[in-house]
Amino acid sequence: MIEVRLFATFREGREKILYLDPNQFKIAGEVLDHLDIPYEQVAIYLINGRHSKFSDDIKDGDILAIFPPVGGG
Amino acid sequence: MRYERQRMMKEIGDKGQEKLTQSTVAVVGCGGLGSPALTYLACAGIGKLILIDCDEVSETNLNRQFLHGMKDVGRPKVVSAKERLLEMNGEIEILGIQEKLTEENVEKFIEDADVVVDCVDNIETRILLGRACLRKDIPLVEAGVQGFYGWIMSVGREFACLECMGFENIVITRPVPIIGTTAGVIGTLQANECIKILLGMEGTLFGTMLQYDGISGSMDRIELQKSDFCKAHEGLTES
Repeated sequence: MIEVRLFATFREGREKILYLDPNQFKIAGEVLDHLDIPYEQVAIYLINGRHSKFSDDIKDGDILAIFPPVGGG
Repeated sequence: MRYERQRMMKEIGDKGQEKLTQSTVAVVGCGGLGSPALTYLACAGIGKLILIDCDEVSETNLNRQFLHGMKDVGRPKVVSAKERLLEMNGEIEILGIQEKLTEENVEKFIEDADVVVDCVDNIETRILLGRACLRKDIPLVEAGVQGFYGWIMSVGREFACLECMGFENIVITRPVPIIGTTAGVIGTLQANECIKILLGMEGTLFGTMLQYDGISGSMDRIELQKSDFCKAHEGLTES
């Protein structure tokens, strides 16, 4: 399975953690499409803790972490 | 007498308290995160605090920036913060610098610090400060807040920084919506993290981002990997 962890406002109306079938997703951006998250709202997209692009490949066992901008002080 | 209860802690003791008393911490930003961070660093007896903030107090700051009051509106934040902190603990030294951080002055302002605490509200200063701390090899405690959400992480040469995560490309829509309690939680965690680093304790947040969700009342840890393409880490040797 692919584990998807959502943070901050991305949790609103969605689960905090989702498990997706790896056979249905090839690249990172497809997960955003599936979750109805506009690409421009994504500030940080990590695959296994590493900064990634929407076009990067994803595979079974990956852990994705997706964040909107949270940068106030 | 003042520090008696924390001297009783096995993690601190007389030796740890002496270490805190001998330490210098630079806190950049005396606002929402800076108010709780500075308060607990001052109360813990950090020997010298360097406050850096170019702003004046405005009325819209007062829902969260409790180092300042209505009487301080229009005054430099470093001045009202210093006054309030010295009321809490007159035994420490506080240096206030009312200047905007630039490429030219940033290293000069932080070079004496054992730890830098980032409490700023904009990406440009975060990137500037992050790069300077990596160059000077000074531990940096980073954090950000918005609404009911926040995060904190520590940065060093061996560990991921904000630019490792692509933070330099983030666009922050201003003004940022924020409740004081979120800034209070995260700023307090920054002070706690700073104290742990100064004491050389385990369990610090280098290479780990701690995410706070004030709606569900939960915290999550995310392990972070350094990027091979990070401009901030480029050309630096690990300490």
